Amino acid sequence: MPLQLDIFLLILRLLFIVLLYLFLMQVVIVITRDLRKSAVASVNTVDKAPPVLGHLVVVDSGPSNILPGTRFDLAPQTTIGRGPTNTIQLTDNSISSEHTHIWNRNNVWYVQDAGSTNGTWVNNQPAMDALPAKAGDIVQVGYITFKLTQ
Amino acid sequence: MAIKATKANKANNYQFAGASRRFTLRNYRWRELSLFIIPFLIILLEMTQLLLANLDPHSSFSTKSLPTIHDLIPALGLIGVLLAANILLSFTFPKADQLLLPLVGLLSGLGMLMATRLGPDTGVPDLGSRQLIWVIIGIVVCMATLFLLRRMSWLRRYKYTWAFLGIVLVGLTLVNALRTKNLNSPTHDQLNFGPLGLQPSELLKIFLVIFFAAYLSENFDILSEGTLRIGRFRLPPLAQLGPLALMLGLALLLFLGIRELGLALLIYGIFLCMIYLGTQKISYVVVSLLVFVVLGFIGYELFSYVQLRFQAVTFDVVNWQNWTTAQTNFAENQGLQIVQGLIALSSGGILGTGLGLGHPAFVPVIQSDMVFVAFGEELGLAGLFAILGIYLLLIYRGYRIAIEARDSFNQMLAAGLTSIFAIQTFVIAAANMKFLPLTGIPLPFLSYGGSSVIANYIIIGILLRISHNTAQERDGLG
Repeated sequence: MPLQLDIFLLILRLLFIVLLYLFLMQVVIVITRDLRKSAVASVNTVDKAPPVLGHLVVVDSGPSNILPGTRFDLAPQTTIGRGPTNTIQLTDNSISSEHTHIWNRNNVWYVQDAGSTNGTWVNNQPAMDALPAKAGDIVQVGYITFKLTQ
Repeated sequence: MAIKATKANKANNYQFAGASRRFTLRNYRWRELSLFIIPFLIILLEMTQLLLANLDPHSSFSTKSLPTIHDLIPALGLIGVLLAANILLSFTFPKADQLLLPLVGLLSGLGMLMATRLGPDTGVPDLGSRQLIWVIIGIVVCMATLFLLRRMSWLRRYKYTWAFLGIVLVGLTLVNALRTKNLNSPTHDQLNFGPLGLQPSELLKIFLVIFFAAYLSENFDILSEGTLRIGRFRLPPLAQLGPLALMLGLALLLFLGIRELGLALLIYGIFLCMIYLGTQKISYVVVSLLVFVVLGFIGYELFSYVQLRFQAVTFDVVNWQNWTTAQTNFAENQGLQIVQGLIALSSGGILGTGLGLGHPAFVPVIQSDMVFVAFGEELGLAGLFAILGIYLLLIYRGYRIAIEARDSFNQMLAAGLTSIFAIQTFVIAAANMKFLPLTGIPLPFLSYGGSSVIANYIIIGILLRISHNTAQERDGLG
């Protein structure tokens, strides 16, 4: 018996619905796998507190009331700013709420300005883009000057 | 000094081109490619169905009646562009989110097919190919957005510029509309650039989200403390609230001026979402909602067209056998769109009539405002649920990108842009089903319309860029 066209169209329609839900299932599977992976990753980071890989020592505190010689610990991902969410919180008017972003990759530090008003410099070069830095370099955040140490 | 300078340059190059230099097969976006397979099958299948639906349903089926490659060119064109995007992203932004494009690609494909199907019935035979061209332009714009957004701080730093640019564009449209004195024509909110009619209001919503994100992330601490006390509620200091209120007020006034109530509602909803995300204070939302109810009431009293929209929501359709003459009159005139939409939805049933086999063209403006109903009729309840599922996953992914972003500006931006999709889909889908007053905002990616498609792809571009930046930050520069 030859296949009627409307029967064929019905098959196409059912196939379409099945494919749509298969696609949704595929996406959900990808998402669950993704979530499981990031859950494992976050458990790992909770277990070990971020290692301290270096320090920022205040060399010149500028107009702020931070004492020269104060040491701040640097985690592999560190943000500096006035806001409460930063790793290093500096309560000074010259510091923006999110001022500088410092991170470590393969034992090299990178410093990048996070869109601050007063800017960030590494060895007097403006750090608009990520600039590499090593121990002994001078990092200037707004009007406050730090030395990067191990 | 010279050595240091070259070092710095090297670091810059790594950040922007590092991935392309070290391209390997492991970096290829395999996940995105594998997620594309089913959407491509669906698009081809539906194109075949659409072409076969035009034949006599009682004739017997033979392989000869199957469409040739030549007939499938629109579908193959879309597939080709999506594949090109996949390859391009693998070489340039391999770490950008891999779920967004398959989800959005499937939605665009369905939108393009629906436009192809509705075109002949609404008197514009080439509606489908027009929509296809818009989608292709949209994907190109999305890629361009990815490349142009080298620094997210540009968006943040020039926030007032963006906001004013958007407002000036919409202001021009308002002047244009007032000059022609034709506020009732459906295209009164368009600016004509040669043959193209663009709706700047679509761009304004993106600019406003950028402004809100930048402003709220900068004044985060001050706004969340709150200094003014009214009863149990704490309000933020007025100086910090001023610019926010100014932008919001200007946008709302413009939309009321061009009679785009839906967009005003959308902008206000986004504002509520973002102020809640930015301050985490439910009291701001409560106060803003109260203000909204008051504004809505004033609008209801002042404008007759608002009353008409509400009348349609309260209209009793189920009891159609006992309609009075006045009710019948309403259903055939002012309420025609909503009533016909409901009839179309109910005739679709659970599995739908099949693409090309229903009669959605009885509903006025079916191709843009009422496209949800067209999908309901031809793909049925099962198809509608799947489409809503795609939207849910898209919105989930957007908020996920927001959660993972590294600073508050990127978080607010991604969350705000995703909220655009969420609110827009909710408002127009609810309106199509007579839960909310019908307003002329498009269903993202499914409705016919160039500006809306392009604006949505710009949003996807920004989200992809944020996710790429986050992943690069997390995994390092190399």
